[in-house]
Amino acid sequence: MKLWKPLLTVIFLGSGFLYAQNRELLYDCTEIPQALLLNPGMETSFTWYAGIPLASGIYAQAGSSGITVNDLFANDGVDFNQKVRTRALNGMTKRDEFGATVQIDIFNGGFRSRSNPELFYSFGVYFETNTILYWPEDLAYLAFEGNADQLGRRFDLGHLKTRGEGLTVFHFGINKVIDRNLTVGARVKVYSGIYDFHSSTNSGYFLTEEGQNNLLSNTLVADMQLRTSGIEGIRAILDDEASGTVGGVLTKRALLGGDLGLGVDLGFTYHLDPQTVITGSLLDLGFVYHSGDVKGYSLQGRATTEGVEAILPDAFDDANSDFWQDLVDEIEAQLPFEDNNTSYLTFRPTQLYGSIRYNFGEPVNEDMDCDCDIGVTDADVRTPFRNATGLQLHAVNRPRGPQAALTAFYLRRFGNFLSLKGTYTVDKFSMSNLGLGMNLQAGPVNFYVLANNLLGYRNLADSRYASFQIGLNILSWGANR
Amino acid sequence: MKKFHYGLFFICLAVASCVEQQNFDQFDDLEIIPTVEASILYVESPESVINDASGAVWYIQTFNFDAFNEQFFADNVLDGVITYELENTTSKPLEILFEYLDDGGNILDSEFFSLDPAPTAVLRRETAYGTPTGRNLDIIRNTSGVRVNASNLGDTTSISILPDPMVIFRSSGKFRLRLK
Repeated sequence: MKLWKPLLTVIFLGSGFLYAQNRELLYDCTEIPQALLLNPGMETSFTWYAGIPLASGIYAQAGSSGITVNDLFANDGVDFNQKVRTRALNGMTKRDEFGATVQIDIFNGGFRSRSNPELFYSFGVYFETNTILYWPEDLAYLAFEGNADQLGRRFDLGHLKTRGEGLTVFHFGINKVIDRNLTVGARVKVYSGIYDFHSSTNSGYFLTEEGQNNLLSNTLVADMQLRTSGIEGIRAILDDEASGTVGGVLTKRALLGGDLGLGVDLGFTYHLDPQTVITGSLLDLGFVYHSGDVKGYSLQGRATTEGVEAILPDAFDDANSDFWQDLVDEIEAQLPFEDNNTSYLTFRPTQLYGSIRYNFGEPVNEDMDCDCDIGVTDADVRTPFRNATGLQLHAVNRPRGPQAALTAFYLRRFGNFLSLKGTYTVDKFSMSNLGLGMNLQAGPVNFYVLANNLLGYRNLADSRYASFQIGLNILSWGANR
Repeated sequence: MKKFHYGLFFICLAVASCVEQQNFDQFDDLEIIPTVEASILYVESPESVINDASGAVWYIQTFNFDAFNEQFFADNVLDGVITYELENTTSKPLEILFEYLDDGGNILDSEFFSLDPAPTAVLRRETAYGTPTGRNLDIIRNTSGVRVNASNLGDTTSISILPDPMVIFRSSGKFRLRLK
């Protein structure tokens, strides 16, 4: 059991703190191959590319909407319990969240069709883990303060919402230039679920009020459910209840030996005029069917108790009965806590990206027109401008409904070897999220590093949000057409 | 040279990021001590039951009550208060003895209530355990049963003029638990 607790901690906390998944710096960065994962309909001018295994795309995002590490753990001399009460218990609501996304490319590559250069194929495998935990406002209050002197207050059990998953994604995408103005793409994904936990449709309440007979009445109305997959087997190994190794189980489940699912990404790029471009993509429109190593827990029903009751003369008939055990049995019958091994389906957190971009300035290759006839086919892709600015929208489906972010960006290209992208993003986590990305092209070597919420880097512990992405690819431009 | 400048810029950016000193040992100081309250025992008896009894002791009953010596509760309880509320609308003076028993049936503690005949005010009493002036908390921790012993000090024929005359015993507990 000692090993089991750290594992849970890693799943909940170590995998990060945020789930927003917005990758505004990478989106529509046409020089970076991994941007195809955010829009399979992105304009591409690669002939081929090959990501360096395990290094072509490393992405991590972490944060919380209501509190920072510094708020609680700053070495400021303030009593820790006081900080927890004022900044967490009284400072956060059920809409505040902790979450995380980590994504690591295992391998990634792409090539342009020789016979039909309008087509570009990309493929790869990546590992992804997501975790989200909404602040269980009422349950936290109940844990810290209890139900005493709270007559009539309904502690909402629906405040408990959490979800987490780890999975390997095998993907294959096709990008097609329809004509000079339109590029579309699609990506098929096969999900191999490693672990999943899911408790996001809870409802009910706990209520203490004056009793009808006795002094107090406690009522629990619950419709709660926790579903897990891929966790019970690991727990059994860690608790020495099963043979095998955790590594063996994880590897097997990561390589299509766990829960399987199917999904698709769709995207497009369209030129409204030579300098104005709109893009859009819909990602992870899919599901995972959890059928292996499934364990579910439920608490459903309604029970009210005013303690042990003996009402005479009827109680004389039960003089030898165990009033306490009868009470416990009655509550358990009315409010059964059960477990099961029922398979279940989860839908992936579908994401939507959209952007409008205005290109301006001189073309990167100054001896060409900005709208000249070079491209993947004879006349399809345009030479990029030195500058681009625009807006991006990102929305993701979350347990408490869609969550959106709006980004303004400026992109500057310096010759063929360097481009920088600056962003300003507004979302529920931050109104001061400035990001900066650099894409460096040194011969066939492509390296990029993207970092978000730069102001937070003054004191990372006081930042509610941080993300970074790095990647290394080998790629070839334009020749094989 | 330009490449060098840009590279330098990013290196400076990376170096400029910092983390103010954090003291994660503070977590050890965290105290989670909720106060929980719930009813314990309710007993009611109409006056007719008292009149029908053959002796002075008209009701004696031992109730199994494992809530207090459940491992979780016994290990974490810090202190608490038990509230009693008794109401007598019968025509008789009554005595009620409420006893706390351990696993072996030994008496750990007791509360004695003397109730005047109706009309009488509701008798309310609060008894603290584990506080500096309260009784020993081990009484609560070791309680696995309670016994109610009710005696009639009056006659067995009179009926109160109040509607639906009866004696009611109510009780609840409010305890602080250390979860961390």
